[in-house]
Amino acid sequence: MGIALLFWGASIVFCIVLSLYLCSKIEASGVRRWGASGSLLGYKEKTK
Amino acid sequence: MTFWHYIVAAAYMAFLIWGCLKSLGQVESLSDFTTGGHRMGLLLGVGTSVATWVSVASVMGVPGQLYSNGIAAIIGWVAGWFMATAVMPLLAWKVRRPELPARTFPEFIRMRFEPFDRISKLQLIVAVLMFIGYFIFCHLQVVGFGIVFNTITGIRYEYAIFAFLIVLLLTSIGGFWSVAATDMLNAAMILIGVMLGAGTILYATGGIGPIMEAVATTTAPTNVGGPPLEPGVLLSPAGTFGWSVLMGIFMANAIGASVAPHWINRFMAPKNSKAAVLQMMWTLILLIPIFACLIVIGLGAKALFPSLPEGKTTDYIMPLIMQDYAPPFVAAVTLIALLAAAVSTANSMLLNCATSIYYDLYRSLYPDREFDDTRATRQLRFSVIGLGVLSVISAIKPPMLLAMGFTYVYGAFGAAFMWPVWFGLFWKRMNREGAYAGIAIGATAFIVAKVMGADNPFLIGATLSLVATLVTVRLTAPPPKEAYEAYFDAEVSASTLAVARRIRRDSDHAHGPAAHAATPIHPIAKEANT
Repeated sequence: MGIALLFWGASIVFCIVLSLYLCSKIEASGVRRWGASGSLLGYKEKTK
Repeated sequence: MTFWHYIVAAAYMAFLIWGCLKSLGQVESLSDFTTGGHRMGLLLGVGTSVATWVSVASVMGVPGQLYSNGIAAIIGWVAGWFMATAVMPLLAWKVRRPELPARTFPEFIRMRFEPFDRISKLQLIVAVLMFIGYFIFCHLQVVGFGIVFNTITGIRYEYAIFAFLIVLLLTSIGGFWSVAATDMLNAAMILIGVMLGAGTILYATGGIGPIMEAVATTTAPTNVGGPPLEPGVLLSPAGTFGWSVLMGIFMANAIGASVAPHWINRFMAPKNSKAAVLQMMWTLILLIPIFACLIVIGLGAKALFPSLPEGKTTDYIMPLIMQDYAPPFVAAVTLIALLAAAVSTANSMLLNCATSIYYDLYRSLYPDREFDDTRATRQLRFSVIGLGVLSVISAIKPPMLLAMGFTYVYGAFGAAFMWPVWFGLFWKRMNREGAYAGIAIGATAFIVAKVMGADNPFLIGATLSLVATLVTVRLTAPPPKEAYEAYFDAEVSASTLAVARRIRRDSDHAHGPAAHAATPIHPIAKEANT
């Protein structure tokens, strides 16, 4: 059971790590059209 | 059908009608109808992705696989599908980058590989493949749903499929917005349904401990009269498959599913590239409780029902358990969850089918004809209704050939589109000739391998497609910058924007920086002119 859950868990961890890496790349690019918003998980420009 | 079935079904229908009416007001342009105007927020995007992801096949198939193969099914199917979803943020990140993205998958292929062609043959070929494939998918969802509903409730198959048609049209008549809005409810129904199902099983068995004990020691065959199982085989990681076969299943599920055209379409809908990435990450996170419940249902069913009656397939294990062990209200909610799973997948397929025939075939064949958005949206809506009716009529007496076509089409999609999509998004050198070679060789090799009875036709098709793509790209000229620029750079040239605008036939973005740029001429055509 542990091995099966390891496969499943690995795919979940991989997805989260990859997504966060891509979000950080978008933030580093600073391109607002791509969703750079100043926060890692935000995708909308903050309205003042 | 009990009193609770009618109550839950009526409440579900009322919500669908409300969602449909609300979303009709959102559709103002052709982009709104096809991809939600590229302005979808995260919540709606996650809801619709979860609902599309979970089909009736996964809600019924996963518990069935666990029931007959044990925890090996977690590696082969659950982890395989999750891995496919895990790489989707990478595709979503690139697909949603351009300022003027494609509205459909065939249009994406045209923008990337044949941006200068007046009529793109590649777009037409992909549209025909998608139309055939998604019509078959839609037809099979109708047939599958009719059989399930008939078996569970006793309602005649013909009545069940026409009831399904009403729900299907309600959820797709408003285009992408109505699919997305009603899918939010469908996702919630699926989650509640499987949670109640898992709760029922845990209550009936006494919890996880007794379930694992029963699964570890059972030798009961899957069907009464079948060969007995080896003790403990259901808890062995490789199960009855062996590691090499199981890894083959895992790889096929993990690699093939990520480039399905309806997913590429989904990546075009979010507000921006980051929203597209986050959409797939949250989708995967929300799928965890759904699949955890399905795993409990599948393993728990083995403890409650050691063997199924002769001739009954394992797909019916969940409805069977609900009928025998759940209170009427819970059984009704679970049944509607199955309907939600079928509808939320079928409406997406129907929308893809209609857009491929109207937008990518009919509209592309008349590049000089004026299509105003209101008229085009109305005609697209009629295409959705017409194809929905056709898919139900074709399901009254379903031909066997179509059922057999299911596995062919899904695998052929993966083998044909995998390299054109991945290389198209991540390799500037990938060109038109490579795309033709990849699609033609991938699809043909898959079909030939399948007909010849190969063990893993997808692997053969995808490998030959890879070789054909790489060799062809190396032997031919690199693509013009207008083909790839938008997927790699933040700032693109005016000519790239103008090309995208010409392909989309935009009139509503004429205020942009490229509004003053003349429609570019392909470098080769320019040379010929001079």
